[in-house]
Amino acid sequence: TGGHTTEILRLLSCLPESYSPRHYIFADSDKMSEAKIRSFEQKRSERFSNSQFTLDRVPRSREVGQSWTSSVVTTLYSILYSLPLTYKLKPDLILCNGPGTCVPVCISALLLGLLRIKRAIIVYVESICRVETLSLSGKILYYFSDYFIVQWPDLKEKYPKSVYLGRIV
Amino acid sequence: FRFKDSLAEDLRRADLVISHAGAGSCLETLEKGKPLIVVTNEKLMNNHQLELAKQLHRDGHVLCCNCSTLVETLQSMDLSTLKPFPPGQPEKFALFLDKVVGFQ
Repeated sequence: TGGHTTEILRLLSCLPESYSPRHYIFADSDKMSEAKIRSFEQKRSERFSNSQFTLDRVPRSREVGQSWTSSVVTTLYSILYSLPLTYKLKPDLILCNGPGTCVPVCISALLLGLLRIKRAIIVYVESICRVETLSLSGKILYYFSDYFIVQWPDLKEKYPKSVYLGRIV
Repeated sequence: FRFKDSLAEDLRRADLVISHAGAGSCLETLEKGKPLIVVTNEKLMNNHQLELAKQLHRDGHVLCCNCSTLVETLQSMDLSTLKPFPPGQPEKFALFLDKVVGFQ
């Protein structure tokens, strides 16, 4: 959604074309991300000739402030939806930065890894907005990601297993 | 205006920006090198939105005030005390990721 999309596109801006094909997953309720992604990929295809990408929408797992009990239900539903999608895509690398959308996808990827179907590297980059505290997605994926990147030194101190590269967006 | 697709043009022409503490607004303004006054309303905002505004203020990149002190801030502000905001470095992320996946 919104700010997350802008941030993730900035993260992608310096990646070489070896990171291809790119599969974007975002919430079905998100109206603006598709346009931003297409614009980014359009500019990219002007630089790299064989640029490939796909877009997929998933049900939003949780609205901000949604109650715990209903969040469990909607997240489970999102996982059920994300599992076949992740199985189809079989990503080598998952890059996410915090929207609720990413947790079910990462859980699906972890399951596929456990079942020895496909092992993906999960890289989580916490949003630049998070200076002192982690987002809920961050708190969960801190334990389940392979690499957890934070953008402010306070968080590096609080979460020692994280990676601090300074501001990267 | 209520909603625009992009504020880039307005930002380009502005000499001073007064904004709420939304991350997108703050960062977009600072990246364009415009002086920024962030108006915070602690009652309305959830805590995490304040984190970035507070940090930017601590680092000397923005002036902060609330609605009731805005006029006073505008009258007494010294914009030359604001420090320039260096851009983020996605190249560092690319280097890191290359090592992680073995593309070195």
